Amino acid sequence: MAQIVTIDPVTRIEGHLRIDVEIENGVVKDAWSSGTMFRGFEMLLEGKHPWDAQQVTERICGVCPLVHGTASSYNLDDAMGVDLPDNARIIRNLCLGANFIQSHVLHFYTLAALDYVDVTAVLNYTGGDPALQALKGKLSGLAKANDLYFFVPRYESEDYISDPELATILVGHYVEALEARKKAQEMLSIYYGRMPSFVGTIPGGVTSHPTVDNIEAFRSRLNELRFWIDSVYVQDIVTIAGVPEYAPFMTVGDSGGNYLAYGGFDLDTSGSEKFLPSGYVLGNNVASVNDFDESDIFEYVTHSWYKEDCNKAPAEGHTDPDVHKKEAYSFIKSPRLDDNPMEVGPMARMLVMAGRELAGTYPETLLPLIDQVGLTDAVMGLVEAGAFGILPRHAMRAFECKLIADKMAEWLDELVPGEKIWDSKGKDIPDSSQGMGLVEGPRGALGHWITIKNKKIDNYQCVVPTTWNASPRDKNDNRGPIETSLIGLPVPDPENPINVVRCVRSFDPCLACAIHVIHPEHNGVKAFRVV
Amino acid sequence: MEKKGVSRRQFIKYAGATAALLGLSEALVPEIARALEQLSTSGKPPIIWMQGQSCSGCAVSFLNTNYPEAAEVVLNELSVRFQPTVMASSGYQSTNVIEDTVKELNGQYVFVVEGPIPTAEGGEFCTVGVEDTTKEVMGKQFPKDKPIMKWMEEVVPGAAAVIALGSCASFGGIPGANASVTGTTPVQDIVADIDKDKPVINIGGCPAHPDWFVGTVLDYLLNGLPELDRYNRPKMFFGQLIHENCERRAAFDAGLFLEDWNDYNPDMKLCLFKMGCKGPVTYADCPVRRWNSKVNWCVGAGGPCHGCAEPAFYKDLSPLYEPLPNVNLVSLQPAVNLGWIAAGATAAGIGGHYLYKQLGGKKESEGGEE
Repeated sequence: MAQIVTIDPVTRIEGHLRIDVEIENGVVKDAWSSGTMFRGFEMLLEGKHPWDAQQVTERICGVCPLVHGTASSYNLDDAMGVDLPDNARIIRNLCLGANFIQSHVLHFYTLAALDYVDVTAVLNYTGGDPALQALKGKLSGLAKANDLYFFVPRYESEDYISDPELATILVGHYVEALEARKKAQEMLSIYYGRMPSFVGTIPGGVTSHPTVDNIEAFRSRLNELRFWIDSVYVQDIVTIAGVPEYAPFMTVGDSGGNYLAYGGFDLDTSGSEKFLPSGYVLGNNVASVNDFDESDIFEYVTHSWYKEDCNKAPAEGHTDPDVHKKEAYSFIKSPRLDDNPMEVGPMARMLVMAGRELAGTYPETLLPLIDQVGLTDAVMGLVEAGAFGILPRHAMRAFECKLIADKMAEWLDELVPGEKIWDSKGKDIPDSSQGMGLVEGPRGALGHWITIKNKKIDNYQCVVPTTWNASPRDKNDNRGPIETSLIGLPVPDPENPINVVRCVRSFDPCLACAIHVIHPEHNGVKAFRVV
Repeated sequence: MEKKGVSRRQFIKYAGATAALLGLSEALVPEIARALEQLSTSGKPPIIWMQGQSCSGCAVSFLNTNYPEAAEVVLNELSVRFQPTVMASSGYQSTNVIEDTVKELNGQYVFVVEGPIPTAEGGEFCTVGVEDTTKEVMGKQFPKDKPIMKWMEEVVPGAAAVIALGSCASFGGIPGANASVTGTTPVQDIVADIDKDKPVINIGGCPAHPDWFVGTVLDYLLNGLPELDRYNRPKMFFGQLIHENCERRAAFDAGLFLEDWNDYNPDMKLCLFKMGCKGPVTYADCPVRRWNSKVNWCVGAGGPCHGCAEPAFYKDLSPLYEPLPNVNLVSLQPAVNLGWIAAGATAAGIGGHYLYKQLGGKKESEGGEE
């Protein structure tokens, strides 16, 4: 007999996400993903000075401000015809890279690890490491005071990593990760002032000059983090991927096999060459990467709390909330590429990269790393099986983190103190213009679009990673990637749907980003009753 | 403290860190240590931290806390019962903890609210958890979403104090600019409707500095309700104008303004006033406290202050990159000759005049407490 299980709030993500699953005979039969918070604040950009867009859109999300600010800067650069100086391009890449590090580390340890590691196993630690003994002491004290609220209750499961030695080491890394991600945010503040919410990138370039001092301040932190990523983060991924109980998660949690990457980290001023390649893959056919065209993107609102006439291509999209709409269950829209639901994020980018490496259209980068950590057979097995599940999503994120961190060390050497950081054309607002900024953020492909009229913002649009991943069903009744990934998932105990949250969290959802609204035609004032 | 596995040495370290964070003299360390010990013997103070129309930026900012570090706060100082960004539990397990805490620790918990509360359409624009009733979607029955507004009604009455974390929770901030659609309401207005005597502490900033939050919580636990300004912000963090302590103040006084970001003078960084700096009308201690383990701050990175800690942020401070209006820069330049005090008076004049205009002439000065 089928049973609906509701998880609300889904925690250890950003924002307000609700997941409903229908379970029959211990397996998920159907799933619904709902974004449950709406602000609609971008509509206030209309009529505003174009430069405000960068500061406002970076506040769409406190976890990903850097990505929105960067996309907005490229968008405004495009609208104003800026020739971006090399120093500015490199500083933007370095800061975006630092944000990838902080975000990926935050995701795997602070957000996801508690789904795999039994924190209470630390109480049985008998090893001699003084730092881990101190950790045990703290947790024992909390357990005695009956105050482990941060860690329990939790969904119980028999397959937590509960070996005291291994669990304690991993919990130790969980604590170290808090410091590692903090250090990555310090790197960002060197050039951008502060995190979250920063000031350092503006239309035309950046606001901080590279100096010998700040380059070395950045480098010392980067080197510490690279060491930590290599020796802790990547190794922990390999360890968890090797836990026999988790073997099914290599393929369980597949989102349907469609992956999209816009491409990110410009390697030249034109932006034609990128460190993260662009493209898309259909049906897990990794060997065949297609070139992507943004004009194939369309957003549906069939099951979203918006009026029906909001089905639009993003550049002309609009949003008119209707919380009473029948058959709607989310504030998230459903973007589709040529009517296909697409997964975006590290797995999409790494599979596009791997596909291009296999085809010889991108230099060997990811495949040697996979080989180095001894996972080539496992990954090629997945390519053959045509399924990429929960664990590959975590692993690809870690691999990407390492590749970017290593690349950043090279970029740092390309900065030239004393050279330009800004093109003053950024300050010349045209009477009317259009712009587009496509970047890759930690959670996936992000696009910003602007239309300027009378030197003011006429329309501003974002299509955001989690909108792709957490979208509800579309007009053709195709589920969104997270919904699809849940189907077939084993949930032996409906009171403890641990596998559901494991799968959802592997996408690193960010709901504040996903639910956005921009209003080109309507001007915000609605006849809603304020109670 | 001892029973939580914390040694005497560590314990004095926390007291020292707390003193540093609150800007107190080191002579007070033993006293703070005693106060912390008292707190620890009576159990760690419980915290319920919920999110309205938030972006989690203040939660992420909290993770950047340096003295004490985030792990220390969570393990040693506070009993975090609900914090959706980082806690282990999900779904009904997590919301049950809120209900149990409200029931069992009435009058003892601190309620932190990140993000403002939407009240339009019965609160449907922001929901957390589910209610006992059901709704039908696509031919199936699902539990109905529970508006954050209802949680406010349930959790506020038993709270010892409410902390509105960040500019949007405190004053509406960016979501507040769309209040006509979602009914966005600052936390203090919601609380006043539920219990007009319930203390609310507003911590501005978009995001709030981790020290402002951790410092306020510790100060509240050690000394009771901190001294607040007219916007219910703790005076110890929001008592001075950015402009008064700015590292580029000398350039302002000398009339040296940045007009091209390529201009670089390592000996005297140019004033960002002409690039729209809102430092002259913003009360916060950023110039001395700095951000991200003191590595930098906005103006330090060549970006103008956008006034994110002020009630006027964002709507009434836009356009962000245009100079504050109604200021004749030529008339400011004699400040160099008149000296610091005259320049300070001029700056206060900018603030008062500007916000007087922006806020419809309601008050004489809106800059905060002098």
